[in-house]
Amino acid sequence: MSDAIVSSPRVGSASTGGLVEVAVLVGALGVLWFVPDFAGDYWLQLGFRTCVYLVLAQGWNLMAGSAGLVSLGTSSFIGLGAYAALGLLNRVGAPLPLALLICATAGGVLAALVSPALFRLRGLYFTVGTLALAELLRLLMVNVSAFGGATGIILQEDPPALPVLFRYVLVLAFLASLTITLCTRTRVSVILRAVRDDEDAAAQMGIRPYRVKLGAFVLASALAAMAGGIQAAKLGAIEPYGMFGLQWSIDVLSMVIIGGVGLRLGPLVGALFVVALGEALADYPEAHTAIAGVILIVLIRFAPQGIVGLAVKLPLIGRVQA
Amino acid sequence: MPDIGIISSTIVAGVLLGGILALTALGLSIVLGVMRLVNLAHGDFLVVGAYAGLFFLQFTGIDPLIGLPVVAVFVGMLALPVYSFLLAPLAGRGAEAQMMTMFAVSIILENAFVLAFSADTRSIARDYATVPLTLGPITFPLIYLIGFAISVTLILAVHWLVSATAFGRDLRASAVDAQAAATLGVDVKRVQMLTFALGAACAGVGGTLMGAAFQFGPSSGGAYLLNSLAVVVLGGLGNVIGTLIGGIALGALQSIGGLTLGDGYRDLVGMALFLLVLAFRPDGFLAKGRT
Amino acid sequence: MKHHIGKSLAAAAAATLALSIGVAFADDIVIGASLPLSGPLAGFGSFQQWGYKRAVDQVNRAGGIAINGAKQQVKLIIRDDKTDPNATASNTETLISRDRVVAMLGSCTPALVHAGALVSERAKKPMVTGCDPLEAFKSVRKWNYVWDLFFHEPELAAVPFKAMADLGVKTNKKLAIWHDNGPDGQVIGGKIWPALAKEFGYEVVQNSEFPIDNSQFTSVIAEAKSRGAEVVLVDAITPQAIAIRKQMASAGYMPKVLNIEKGAEPVQFAEALGKLSDGILVGGYWDPAFPYPGAADLAKAFESETKLTSSQHIADSYAAAQVLLDAITAAGSTDSEKINAAIAKTDKSYVVGPVKFDENHTAKLPIVSLQWQSGKAVIIWPKSAKTGDVLFPLP
Repeated sequence: MSDAIVSSPRVGSASTGGLVEVAVLVGALGVLWFVPDFAGDYWLQLGFRTCVYLVLAQGWNLMAGSAGLVSLGTSSFIGLGAYAALGLLNRVGAPLPLALLICATAGGVLAALVSPALFRLRGLYFTVGTLALAELLRLLMVNVSAFGGATGIILQEDPPALPVLFRYVLVLAFLASLTITLCTRTRVSVILRAVRDDEDAAAQMGIRPYRVKLGAFVLASALAAMAGGIQAAKLGAIEPYGMFGLQWSIDVLSMVIIGGVGLRLGPLVGALFVVALGEALADYPEAHTAIAGVILIVLIRFAPQGIVGLAVKLPLIGRVQA
Repeated sequence: MPDIGIISSTIVAGVLLGGILALTALGLSIVLGVMRLVNLAHGDFLVVGAYAGLFFLQFTGIDPLIGLPVVAVFVGMLALPVYSFLLAPLAGRGAEAQMMTMFAVSIILENAFVLAFSADTRSIARDYATVPLTLGPITFPLIYLIGFAISVTLILAVHWLVSATAFGRDLRASAVDAQAAATLGVDVKRVQMLTFALGAACAGVGGTLMGAAFQFGPSSGGAYLLNSLAVVVLGGLGNVIGTLIGGIALGALQSIGGLTLGDGYRDLVGMALFLLVLAFRPDGFLAKGRT
Repeated sequence: MKHHIGKSLAAAAAATLALSIGVAFADDIVIGASLPLSGPLAGFGSFQQWGYKRAVDQVNRAGGIAINGAKQQVKLIIRDDKTDPNATASNTETLISRDRVVAMLGSCTPALVHAGALVSERAKKPMVTGCDPLEAFKSVRKWNYVWDLFFHEPELAAVPFKAMADLGVKTNKKLAIWHDNGPDGQVIGGKIWPALAKEFGYEVVQNSEFPIDNSQFTSVIAEAKSRGAEVVLVDAITPQAIAIRKQMASAGYMPKVLNIEKGAEPVQFAEALGKLSDGILVGGYWDPAFPYPGAADLAKAFESETKLTSSQHIADSYAAAQVLLDAITAAGSTDSEKINAAIAKTDKSYVVGPVKFDENHTAKLPIVSLQWQSGKAVIIWPKSAKTGDVLFPLP
C-alpha cells in the first residue's frame, strides 16, 4: 500500500489549493443541481449511479490512499444503511434526509464497534477481516427472520421521484467530496500519511495511529451507510444477497484502483469509468464480465497509478505543467 | 435433545469434512504466506478442479480418485501462466494490484465456465460418494473418510516439502522476508511461481473431492473462497499444519453449530469464529512460528 | 493540477457520451429484458433467454407486428443482471430510459423480478413476467403495469398431499419438512405444508428452515432419520436439492416418499444425480406432454438448438413473451397504456395452458406431480394428465 503514489501536498499553498477545491465543488454542485431541469431520465439514472459510487469511492480512497486500510467490507455498511433506511421509512415514516443521517450514525457506530477487533490486524489481516465482517452480516440477515430473512424488506410507500433522488444523492456526493477535501487539504492529511507510511514511527511522533485510522474508517463507513440508504430507497425492495454482496466491495475497490489510489480525482474518474464501462458492455450480455475482467487486468498492469496517474504523465499535460 | 448417536455421528462427519476443507484452503494459505496475496480466484481454481475431475471421468471412464494426480498437474500447469504473465509483473506494486488482478481472473473464469459448460449444476456421480459407513452407533458418509484420508496425506506431503527440502527452505525464507531472501541468492520469483502452482494443484484435488461429495456450478467459487478464508484464518496464514488443524476445528465446530442452532447457522458459526480468532489470535490457533 | 483535472474529466465524459450512440432503429418495436445470465441463477437465465428469443423470432419471421397499419419488426434487448437485484434495477432503468423499450419481460426469482418490476411500475411501462410465485408477487404491492403468470404456492404445496392420497401410498404418516427461507420457501414450507399436513392426517415430526445457499444438511437429515419420518417434503433450489439427495444417501436415510419442490425440476438435477434421482417427486407447471398447443415441439426445439437439457422455465418465459407480443398486436400501437390495457384482456390458451389475469395481475398455471424415473420426468398425477405409474417407495 505504501507504494501507492500520492499527489505531493504542496504544503505552502495547501490552504489556497484547498479553497480552490472547495470553490470548484460548490460550483459543480450549483451547476449539477439544475441537471434534472433539462436532462432526460437516462442521464439522471447514470448520474445517480455515479454519485452513489463516488460517495463509496471517496471514503474508500481516504482509508486506503491515506490511512493504508484496504477494505473488502464496504458492503457491510451499504447493507446496514439499506436496512436501516427502509426500516426507518417503513416503521417510523421518517423523512429521507433524516433517515440518511441516522444511517450515517449507524454506519459510524458499527465501524467503531468492530474496530477494536479489526485494527488489531494490520495489512492483509485487516482486508480479510473486513471481508469476513460483510459475510457475517449477510449470513446473519439471511438467517434472522426479524429482518425478513432471504426475502428482505419492501418499501411500503413509493420512493421520491427520480429528480428528487438525484438531488439528494448529488448533495451526498458533494458532502462526501467536501469532507474528503477538508481531510486531505489540512494538517489531517499529513497525519494520515504518516500513519500509512509507518505506523510505529508515527506513534513516536506523538500521533495516535489508532485514532487516526479509526477516524478514517468511521467516516468512510458512515458515507457507505448513507449510500446504501439512498440506494435502498431508490430500489424499493432489498434483500441480503443484493445489499451485503461482495460485488459492492469489489466495485469500490476497482473504481479507486482504476481511477488512481490516493489521488484526489481517482474516485471521480474511477466512478465515471465503471459506470460508463458497465453501460457499454451491457450490450454484450454473454461475455461482458470476461471483457470487464480483461480491461481490469490491462489497466492494473499498464496504469499503475490509475487513469488519473496516466493522464498526468501524458506529454501534453507534462508540457503545460512545466 | 438429539441422541448420542446423532451427536457423535455429526461430530465425526464434521471432523472428516474439516480435513477436506483444509485441503481446499491449503493453496490459499501458502499463497498468502509466501506471496502476501489474497487470491480472490482461489475458489474458481477449486471449481476448475471439480470440472477437471468430472470431465476426466466422462472422457476416460477412469475413476476420478485415480485421476487425481492428473487433475493436480493440470490445474497446477494452468496456474503457471497466470503467475508469470499476470502476477509477476505486478511484484512490488502493493497488495491491491495483485488482488484485483486475481479478482479479474475470477470473473473471467466464471464467465468462461458458463460459456463452455453451461450454468448447469453438476456433481461427480460415484457410488462411493453416496454410501453411508456405519461403525456401531456412528454413521457418516464414506466419501468424507476417503476425502479426509487423501487430504491429510496431501497436506502432510506439502508439510514435508516445506519443512524438509531445499525448495521448502527457500519458500520459508521468501515468506519471512522476500527481499532478504533475494539478497541471499534465493530465486524468489521461481519460488513464488512454484508455490502458486502448488497451491493451485492442491485446489484442483480439493475441487474434485468437493465435486464428488457435493455439487458445484460455475459460480460455486465464491462460497469456496469464503470457507477457505475461514480455515486459513483459524489456522494462521501460511501455516500448513495450522491449516489442517484449522480445517478440522472449523468442520467440528460448524457441525456442532448446525446441530444446536440448525444447519442454516453453520456458516454463520464459521464466520463468527473466524472474526473472533482474528480479533484475539490474529496469527491463528497455533500462534507460534510459521512454516 | 487543474489541467489534468480537465483532461481526465473530458476523457470520462467523452467515454460516457459515446454510449448514447447505438440505440435501436426508430421503426423497430423495442422490448427489453434483464436476465440472470451469470452468477448463481445463470441456469434460469439461459432458459428464459431462449424462451423470450424464440417467441420474438417467430413473430419476426411471420413479418412482425402491425403498428398503425404498418408491419414492424420486434427488437428484443437482453441484459445480464449477474443475479444481482441492484443490476436488474439499473438494467431496467437503462432499457426504459435509453433504449426506449415499449414494454419489459421479467427476470427470474422474486428478488430479481421485483427489483425490475418496481422500476417498470414507476416508469409506467408494462412488464409481463413468469418465474415469480404468485403470492410472493402479490405481497409486494398493488400492481398496475406488471403481470405475472406462474404457479400459485398453495396449489403447488397441495400437490404432494393430494397425489399421495389419490395414489393410496402407505406410509407411517410421519412427515419431515425442510425448506429454504426464500419468499416461496417460507410460504410453502413454513405455513402451507404444516397446515395441509394436519388436514391430511400427517404428523409433522420436523420442520427445518435453512438459507437458500446452504450446502450442509447433515444435521437436518440425521434428525429426520432419528424421528422416523417416512415422508420428506423439501423446498430448495437445484444445487441444494442435489446436495440434499446425495447427503441423504450417504447418511443412509431412506424415506418412502421424497418430494423436492423447485430444485428437482430441471433435467440437470437428474443428470447430476444419476440413478439417485429415481423416485423423487416434484410439482411441475409444465411438461412437454401437456395437451397445449406447441408443448411437445417446444422442448424438442430447445434441446436440438442448444444441445442442453430442458426445463419448464422455457415454457413460462416463452408464454410470457407471447402474451406481451399478442398484446402489442391487439393494441396495434406502441403506446404503453394501450399495451397494458391489452395485456389485461389476455384470454387465450398458450403453451402453458389457458392464460387469463385476475384483478391482482396474476394468472395461475396448472400443476401436476412429476416423478423422476430413469432420468425421465413422468407425470404421475393427476390421472387425467398421467404419462406413467408411480414408483413407490423411493428406491
